[in-house]
Amino acid sequence: MKAQQLVRIRRISQTVFLLFFFFFLIESRLPHDVFVDYSTVFSSEVDLEINYPVRFFFQLDPLVSLSSLVSGHQLIKGFWWAFITVIVTLFLGRVFCGFVCPLGTIHHMVSWFKPTLKGQSMVRANEKTPSQRVKYFLLITVLLAAVLGLNATGLIDPISLLFRSLALAVFPGLAAGLLELSEVMALSDIKGINSLSYGTEYLVQVLFGFGYKAYQTAWFIGIVFLVILFLNRIRPRFWCRVLCPLGALLGICSRFSILRLEKNQEKCTNCNLCTKSCQGAASPRPGQDWDSAECLMCFNCFSTCPEDALTFRFRWSPLKLNKAPDMGRRAVLAGLLGGVSLPLLGRLDGQAHKVTDPRLIRPPGSLPEKEFLTLCQRCGQCMKVCPTNVINPTLTEAGMAGFWTPHLIMTQGYCEYTCTLCGDVCPTGAIREFSVKEKIEGPIKIGSVHIDRGRCLPWSGNGPCIVCEEHCPTSPKAIYFHKGLVTGPDGKEKLLKLPYVDLKECVGCGICEYKCPVRGRPAIRTISAGESRSLENQILL
Amino acid sequence: MNINHPITRRESLKTLITISGAVAFSGVSRFPLAALAQAKAAPKRFIVEGVGQTQAYSLKELMRGVFDAAGGMTQFVSKGDVVAIKPNISWARRPELAATTNPQVLEAVIELCYEAGAKKVRIVDHTIHDARRCFAITGAGMVAKKTNADLVFPRSSLMRQMKINGHRLNVWPVFVPLVEADKLINLPVAKHHGLSSLTLGIKNWIGGVGGRRYALHQDIHQTIVDLAQFFRPTVTLIDATRIMIRNGPSGGSPSDVAVKNTLILSNDQVAADALATGLFGHRPEDMGFIRLAKRSGLGTDDLNLLDQKRVVI
Repeated sequence: MKAQQLVRIRRISQTVFLLFFFFFLIESRLPHDVFVDYSTVFSSEVDLEINYPVRFFFQLDPLVSLSSLVSGHQLIKGFWWAFITVIVTLFLGRVFCGFVCPLGTIHHMVSWFKPTLKGQSMVRANEKTPSQRVKYFLLITVLLAAVLGLNATGLIDPISLLFRSLALAVFPGLAAGLLELSEVMALSDIKGINSLSYGTEYLVQVLFGFGYKAYQTAWFIGIVFLVILFLNRIRPRFWCRVLCPLGALLGICSRFSILRLEKNQEKCTNCNLCTKSCQGAASPRPGQDWDSAECLMCFNCFSTCPEDALTFRFRWSPLKLNKAPDMGRRAVLAGLLGGVSLPLLGRLDGQAHKVTDPRLIRPPGSLPEKEFLTLCQRCGQCMKVCPTNVINPTLTEAGMAGFWTPHLIMTQGYCEYTCTLCGDVCPTGAIREFSVKEKIEGPIKIGSVHIDRGRCLPWSGNGPCIVCEEHCPTSPKAIYFHKGLVTGPDGKEKLLKLPYVDLKECVGCGICEYKCPVRGRPAIRTISAGESRSLENQILL
Repeated sequence: MNINHPITRRESLKTLITISGAVAFSGVSRFPLAALAQAKAAPKRFIVEGVGQTQAYSLKELMRGVFDAAGGMTQFVSKGDVVAIKPNISWARRPELAATTNPQVLEAVIELCYEAGAKKVRIVDHTIHDARRCFAITGAGMVAKKTNADLVFPRSSLMRQMKINGHRLNVWPVFVPLVEADKLINLPVAKHHGLSSLTLGIKNWIGGVGGRRYALHQDIHQTIVDLAQFFRPTVTLIDATRIMIRNGPSGGSPSDVAVKNTLILSNDQVAADALATGLFGHRPEDMGFIRLAKRSGLGTDDLNLLDQKRVVI
């Protein structure tokens, strides 16, 4: 096959996979079909279903499967896709990086678009450097930490990182900007601009969901993403070469690849065009030893070489291995040290092992905290899919070990009584799949509420209010009244309905806190105590 | 130019923006136009009670009977009208739990509206639970699809600060599609309510506003009367096919539901509520909001002042 054709196929493949990634990301939402069939409506609460395989890219990612396996001892749903990725890598090298990975594609585009580096400086930037060992260090760190009980892989796994960045920062940011713009346009007297504003609003709703979305620490997620993108200006595909732990894992697998770069020293004129176009800094020039572990299989060198001194060929001699990945002893040792340290350091703030932060309300169906931390990829799938925007990344609520894992902020939304989407989309089962029935009839509870009598309107004598009781979705209601005399601000006694909480009935959905008219700090608040996933974090016997 | 039709420029966009359950609106009407139209002529006040007594009565027939007794739907909906229907579909509860307007009632009304020549019927409610869940579970989504009505997705861009001019409420964010329709039909379900004791037609207007609407509960009777005075529907049709007799307004158990097979239609909001009060065994004068509404001249609870009719099938 001609080199140019290979490059064209690569570009098409990258585009297709990137578009699929965007599509699945957008479709990770409450299905828009509200026109469900009458008969199903009448028969029972219908379990929600997302009609697309929105977890596909996580299943394709061997690092997600591997870390879940060594940490949570779980074979995740669809893990065999990751198995296929590994098999393909064993035969063909890092084609996942060059042809499939959506984050790689984005880096590729950013690197390619009007590069700052030109000529000799680009050649120098694409020479292999020892910094490329950092990714092995990161891989060993996260995998060893995962074995020892803290799965932090998702913080730097490329698929999780991209999903989190796009779903929690980039898309909500764009949507907010577009909505602002459409509001400005709506003020216009010119009909065309005015009409355009409705078109914009419509587009935003279809692509980004209804209303403004807000996520705790989203600005930080966004900045991290921007910095990673910016690094491509220093060296092309900086992330893929230096930082990506998945790249490191696939690089190790590529040692056995039978698709190899063959160099013809005689034909080479040392023009360095191959190095100049090399995305992985994999030493493509004849005279150098080709690093299969660094090669992203972009086929740029093959395609640019004017002398035909480079070709990719299958060589059916599996016993003859490629050059070993250049990990460096120090990177390995540092990785081992880091891997042991992380889970130990993660325990030091006491979370999960000693105390439980009352704000750490996990989504329904979440596993017990220790198991949760062995599986959660912090990818943001559950946060993206949540229709009320209640699921947010943690900052300190789960301790440093649980940074960016999901938790519920009831002032931002509430857990919809008949919704099961977060369990449906979780790629690793940290939030297991659960049914509406389990939410309504038990055993699932996510926390409990308590009333702040100093702020509550009836309790403080400031007037009648029944909003918490009215919204309580359980039957019988977890919030009930006793009539009682309270002294009002004028010193007179009033007979008011005073709300109480029945902890046995309360599931912690938080709609009472969300709808409480007492703003600022609501008069009824949700805490994690009473969550069904924990034996310890309970109130009642 | 029809002053009651401020929507022309967005009609041109309609094909572009009609999606599953969501229609983008502009909504820059500066004052309640529907109320203006009402003020022009004071039609004769009536009240119709329709009861289905046979075992398998047809709800559609009953609906037609009720409207015919009031002179037919054409009395209320003219050719080319945009009709907004305000059901109570605020809770993501199954229809048989009686927390929401019966979808079959909704369907029957929409069909009559289209029959009378309505250009478009919109189902408008600012739901409490997530609107998409409400539309799906209450059956309103299905009705919209079957009858070709629009489901309006509530969102902040459709809320506009408007002058309510009530005793208690001055300016409040209003759900715009309700005020910019030509005709407005209030279609509440009759339910028990923990604070106002019953939620009928007048209370249904809480679902027509946005903002800090849960603070309205601190003076529930006066605020809902203020809202009813602001919205002034063409007719009120109370769905009492089945009513929630306790644990309102959200209920959640079939044991809270009583079957009454009754529809109440009136162009007097207070009278409709007063008649529905009887279904629960209460007296209208015990309802705070009915007393206040009467005092402020919104209507009467003395049904003898109205043209009373009863339809039984």
